[in-house]
Amino acid sequence: MRVRPTLAAIAGIAVLGLALQGCTGSSSNTSSTGGAVNGAGKTLDVLVAANTLYPDAQKQWFSDVSAQFQKETGATVKFETFATTNDELTKIQTAVVSGQGPDIYNLGTTFTPTAYSTGAFVTMTDDDWNKVGGRDRFVPATLGISGPDDNDQIGIPFASRPFVMAYNKDLLAAAGIDKPATTWDGLAQQAQKLTSGDTYGLAVAYADSFDPWKFIWGMSIQAGNPIIDGKTARIDDPVTEKAYQSYFGWLTTQHAVDPASVSWKNAQAVAAFAAGKAAFLPMTSATSKVTLDKSAVAGHYAYALLPTIPPGQTSLPSGGKAATSIISGDNTVVAKYSQNQDLDFALIKMLTSADNQTDYYKRFGELPTNQEAATALETGNADLAPILDSSAQSVGTPFSGAWGDTQLALVNVVVQSIPSLSSGSVSDSDLETQLKAAQATSQASLDKAK
Amino acid sequence: MSLQSAKRRRTLSTRNRPLWMLGPGLVLMALVIIIPLGLALYMSLLDLDQYTLRSWLQAPFIGLQNYVEAVTASPLLRSIWISVSYAVVVSLVTLPVGVAAALATQNRFKGRALVRSVFLIPYILPAFVVGTVWRTMMQQGGVIDSALGSAGVHTGLWLNGPQSYWTLIIVQAWSSWPFFYLLVLAGLQSVDSEVHEAAALDGAGWWIKLRYVIFPYLRGPIALALIISLLHNINSFTLPFVMFGVPAPQDVQVLSVLTYVTSFQSFRFGLSAAMAVASLIIVAIPLFVYLRAVRLDTGEEGKRA
Repeated sequence: MRVRPTLAAIAGIAVLGLALQGCTGSSSNTSSTGGAVNGAGKTLDVLVAANTLYPDAQKQWFSDVSAQFQKETGATVKFETFATTNDELTKIQTAVVSGQGPDIYNLGTTFTPTAYSTGAFVTMTDDDWNKVGGRDRFVPATLGISGPDDNDQIGIPFASRPFVMAYNKDLLAAAGIDKPATTWDGLAQQAQKLTSGDTYGLAVAYADSFDPWKFIWGMSIQAGNPIIDGKTARIDDPVTEKAYQSYFGWLTTQHAVDPASVSWKNAQAVAAFAAGKAAFLPMTSATSKVTLDKSAVAGHYAYALLPTIPPGQTSLPSGGKAATSIISGDNTVVAKYSQNQDLDFALIKMLTSADNQTDYYKRFGELPTNQEAATALETGNADLAPILDSSAQSVGTPFSGAWGDTQLALVNVVVQSIPSLSSGSVSDSDLETQLKAAQATSQASLDKAK
Repeated sequence: MSLQSAKRRRTLSTRNRPLWMLGPGLVLMALVIIIPLGLALYMSLLDLDQYTLRSWLQAPFIGLQNYVEAVTASPLLRSIWISVSYAVVVSLVTLPVGVAAALATQNRFKGRALVRSVFLIPYILPAFVVGTVWRTMMQQGGVIDSALGSAGVHTGLWLNGPQSYWTLIIVQAWSSWPFFYLLVLAGLQSVDSEVHEAAALDGAGWWIKLRYVIFPYLRGPIALALIISLLHNINSFTLPFVMFGVPAPQDVQVLSVLTYVTSFQSFRFGLSAAMAVASLIIVAIPLFVYLRAVRLDTGEEGKRA
């Protein structure tokens, strides 16, 4: 019989928690004896996102890491993967409630605030930072979303995947455009100029569950609105409304976006660009290189920074931040319940070393968070410059437990506007109604934040 | 046999009933149903969220506030309306289709086994697959749009806006009608061949035979199928989740998706437990009506009385 799945799931987690609460805290701690940590015979459990682009390379990496770690400390590493964000959330929730699970988690950067608010992960002391090789070894910008402030950080930067924009060099040259615009208004104009027949200026995934908020947040913070300002939500701010208007305007005013994109997810936007049907692919990361290099546009495209001048402006307004991207990538966190914390830190130290970070970039195309490795990479690769620039100019999304809800509310505005968007115009009054609802949701969530 | 002795025998058999044999079942029921349900009820009274999850037994007790919030400040009532109305429509649409299909495959004909198997395909496909395939077909500029477009019909958005409600009904109906078909087919097997003969001897036409001879046999299976189908549709999560994603367009934010989002995206476990309890009550209403109707709840004694 099918019994209320959600109810059962919630209750299941609860039961698990009850059953397991008594079991923790029994085994002994790893002893740390000065330099190298001795972990002979121990196994660390690490949860990471499944790499759908390079599944085989990831398996190889798992066994290589484990072998290297065994050589250094005597301990082995067991990797667990999660396939989707939902999968990730469920695993973390179960572990949080039961006080049992992986020792180390690789979390998406924007999920770090939520993880922090559960209080289930180790807040790094100076001593802890030293155990992972010191705060100084990381690219400063990547530390921006490790915690609410410098003294309360849980996230150790592991990989950087900043957002950039891909553009089709041939289409731009044909239209007589020598380089991509650096203002959002300029980009919209270029996109309009580049649209003809079934080729469009921009490939935008309006129906994606994550893309829309990145645009809106980016344009807002450039105009000086961080969306969450201390204890106040500012979704109903005029600059945010303006951001939505220009985001929708690409379709309704400039007609520079394929009308079908109202039902596109990110992968479909990438596919349209890959097929040469769009001049710009905004909001993509270096990981799209794999797809694009095997596509019709291979060799005919380049990456550029996303515009940093907000809609309606010709220069950065006072109070605005020239954010090129959210701080995007992975943070590593250590579970408080882990019995082998010194060993955990030893593994993280190994993984964030310059050599291993360079190696990780070579295998997966994700940028190093290790400063030494990043500098080395920059000197050797000119075409990576925009991506490395974007990494350095990334700005962290607000570090608040309410960010998850706020992000959802920002996307929800787009989801509920899709019918009007599809019919050709999103009226200001409709948009304002949506923004008011989103503002209320976000503020309510902020009021609950502790 | 005197009344006296009959009475004594019953007391004797009551006394010696091996009730302990119910033990394992009781333990299982407690583990699987009673304890989780009790916990969910308790959770619905707590202010349980991401901040309190770690030591959830110490989460602040806030009484009925979650219920108040669910009713006054969340889309719960709207979601209930969407879930219930869509479940009713799907059940009513699929009922005649299932009955017709069962009747059509009742008599022997060449290839009947094949047709019967083909009929079951929509039902055995995982909801995830059904959702993904239909979503791909129904997206803007997709197969369905271009097919209808070439016939001169322009329908607009399927996966968002008011029409998405009907999209959900169409797809859910497509994947669930074989359920009626299965139960009605089973019901048809219980019609004695003598009944068919007698009806034929009396010269009954096909409609008279169907209406007055066959349908009375099917009343039970159809009522059961209706109730299960209603419950199934009200609880349906995978199909709307896969087809419309989250955040869901407001016209298809069904109860199960709302509860899921509240729990696993907003981390309001207490609030979503309250929503889940509310949905449990809604599901319990048709179930109760059905159990009363077939008197399954009162057992043999009740039936005799």
